[in-house]
Amino acid sequence: MEELRLVTSAPPHLKSPVTVPWIMQQVVFALLPAAAWGVVFFGPRLALPPLVLSVLSCVGFEALDCLAFRRPLTVGDWSAVVTGMLLGLSLPPGCPFWIPIVGGGVAILLGKQMFGGIGQNIFNPALVGRAVLLISWPKIMATWYARPAFALQLAQATTYATPVDVVTSATPLGIVKAYGYSAVWDTGPSLLFRLFVGLVPGCIGEISAFLLLLGFLYLLLRGIVQWDIPLFYALGLSSVALFARQNPLFHLFAGGAVMGACFMATDYTTSPMTSRGRMIFGFGAGALTGIIRWLGGYPEGVTFGILTMNALVPLLDRMLPRRFGVKKV
Amino acid sequence: MRLRTFPQGVFLPHHKEDTAHLPIVRVPEPSRVVLPLIQHTGAPLKPLVKKGDTVKRGQKIADVDAFVAAPVHAPLSGKVAGIEDWAHPTMGRFQAIVIENDGKGEEDCYEPLPETIEDLEPERLRAFVREGGFVGLGGAAFPTHVKLSPPQGKPIDSFILNGAECEPYLTCDHRVMLERTEDMLLGLRIMVRACGARKAYIGIEENKRDCIDHVANLLRNFPIPAEVVPLRTKYPQGSEKHLILAILGREVPPGGLPLDVGVVVNNVQTAAALGRMARTGLPLVERVITLSGDCLRKRGNFEVPLGILLEDLVHFCEGFTAPPRKIIMGGPMTGITQVSLAVPVIKGTSGFLFFRNVPEKREYPCIRCGRCVAHCPMRLLPYLLGRLAEERLFAEAEDNRVLDCVECGSCAYVCPAGIALVHLLKLAKFEVMHRKRGGK
Repeated sequence: MEELRLVTSAPPHLKSPVTVPWIMQQVVFALLPAAAWGVVFFGPRLALPPLVLSVLSCVGFEALDCLAFRRPLTVGDWSAVVTGMLLGLSLPPGCPFWIPIVGGGVAILLGKQMFGGIGQNIFNPALVGRAVLLISWPKIMATWYARPAFALQLAQATTYATPVDVVTSATPLGIVKAYGYSAVWDTGPSLLFRLFVGLVPGCIGEISAFLLLLGFLYLLLRGIVQWDIPLFYALGLSSVALFARQNPLFHLFAGGAVMGACFMATDYTTSPMTSRGRMIFGFGAGALTGIIRWLGGYPEGVTFGILTMNALVPLLDRMLPRRFGVKKV
Repeated sequence: MRLRTFPQGVFLPHHKEDTAHLPIVRVPEPSRVVLPLIQHTGAPLKPLVKKGDTVKRGQKIADVDAFVAAPVHAPLSGKVAGIEDWAHPTMGRFQAIVIENDGKGEEDCYEPLPETIEDLEPERLRAFVREGGFVGLGGAAFPTHVKLSPPQGKPIDSFILNGAECEPYLTCDHRVMLERTEDMLLGLRIMVRACGARKAYIGIEENKRDCIDHVANLLRNFPIPAEVVPLRTKYPQGSEKHLILAILGREVPPGGLPLDVGVVVNNVQTAAALGRMARTGLPLVERVITLSGDCLRKRGNFEVPLGILLEDLVHFCEGFTAPPRKIIMGGPMTGITQVSLAVPVIKGTSGFLFFRNVPEKREYPCIRCGRCVAHCPMRLLPYLLGRLAEERLFAEAEDNRVLDCVECGSCAYVCPAGIALVHLLKLAKFEVMHRKRGGK
């Protein structure tokens, strides 16, 4: 019999086909419907540059960091693309070109690489980038460009007319903060429906709760995320809304709540490892979002709500599940 | 059909269709067999024969004066060619008795048991089981008589026969349940009587519908209370602790044994071999194994004498369609890779798998996806234990329950970052045990 060249290895000798890059690619896919809607709703001129530049910035800064510190190039794991997508989708349409570049640099360098790269960071990198932008350039980050009337645009598109005038407008949460909660209900009929499908001004990828939920459903069916964080986020946010005597559905569909609950809070690295931990985490992030919206200085609370809970993850991870063979104490 | 199961675990591609339908084929006696002096969990044996002795099939050739041990018998008649250091499938190398076949086929068997099993003294049955050299044939190779000897104050009420066969590719238990059913049920009666259980359960995963139906049929008019329990096909359903949880809803306490919750578990093939000895007097000298994988020319389920060398098996299976890159003894989830074809079949050999395609999974840093935690059937935090092992923080690993790990491999299977979690956890367990025994 011929000489065999055998390999030895530790069991298990079967491995699931799921890999890190594959997971990251699925997240990117899941975000595409919401991104596409942002581009359609705000127009490519306003929506595409922030998105593209954000992704390029994240990937570029990660590559630069790897080169500078002579470490293996890690951009192949696709996680920087996800961070870039998340950051880009949470920027206001029509923001200056350097906003996504600076945001991406902060997200990757400060939010991720400084901790040791993928899997090591405490705070969600995209939210770190967004938070720094919010604090440093509050006016830019609160200026919402929009095309005057989307319905009109659709009509014009069919006749190949292209007068695209850009105006600034206020987001529903911005109206709540500036003029009070009741004012937002005077902005027109079927507010909740417009919020749900995405017919309101807002961040590029955050306007359509429906398309974000569709993307989340895809990740759920693919077994990539679990339902616990978003559900408990919604419970936390709704509880605060009810306590403030405001409509929970308004809060769930407005601003970045769906994006935050389904895509930001569910980030693997910065959320707890156990189911019980994830429930507490989700509830806390949702409740903090509501409290900031209700009582805080910012119209939107998703970013700081989730970042705060990110900080508690190491603590939540110390809760061990019930031990096999030991009765509940 | 209501299927019982346990929480967490993984659904695996089970790859059993290649061999599950193939009846057991008897492999002819080889010219030589090699019987290592350790084939069980426990104390190594001392040879009872020396070079040049003639031995008969069924004759005891090695034993030791220890409770946790099982003797070894000659699987064929012949001459002892020597007691040599030989390749061992799980221990690298070990002393082994080499017997050259003389082709005479002479037997030296034990007295069969009378058919009235339920009237026999448990003591006598336990002695019979020990004398027959029985160990768990599912792979763990724990001496069967030890399991059947519950200590004072720990009464056994239930006996579970393990026909889960949850490891992918392996189908030998499947065939034994179909083709050796009578012997298996006789063995079951002996074990139930020996341990004093009041009820017997036979747990079978539902991907073996034919076994479930066949065994259930034969259980009509069975002299003792027994039932087939169909189980959901999920890994590691065949793990003792998870089988007990699925069937009886009891959890074995940390560091404990099934007898701590009043249960004894044994493998279906152990029962079949025991029933055969009760019927014919032939001790454990043969077993059924599965030979499968992606490059063996003739796959199937084979009845082989213990001690037959892997090279003889490969020869019998007409060699390879392409040279294998990986050979595994046991199933792909917990099996041990082999480095040579000179290893013998031992009592715990459930099969050999031959793979040409060895998929490599690139390793990434842990992304904290939580899959290992969500799937661990022992509710451990494998990501944390792996990291603690890497940092050699073994006391912390112990605090985080690393000794509860059953080494099923679910965590490493699902890990998208390709981290060798079980390997790290085994290392931590080894170090913790080493320190417990006083080593520093």
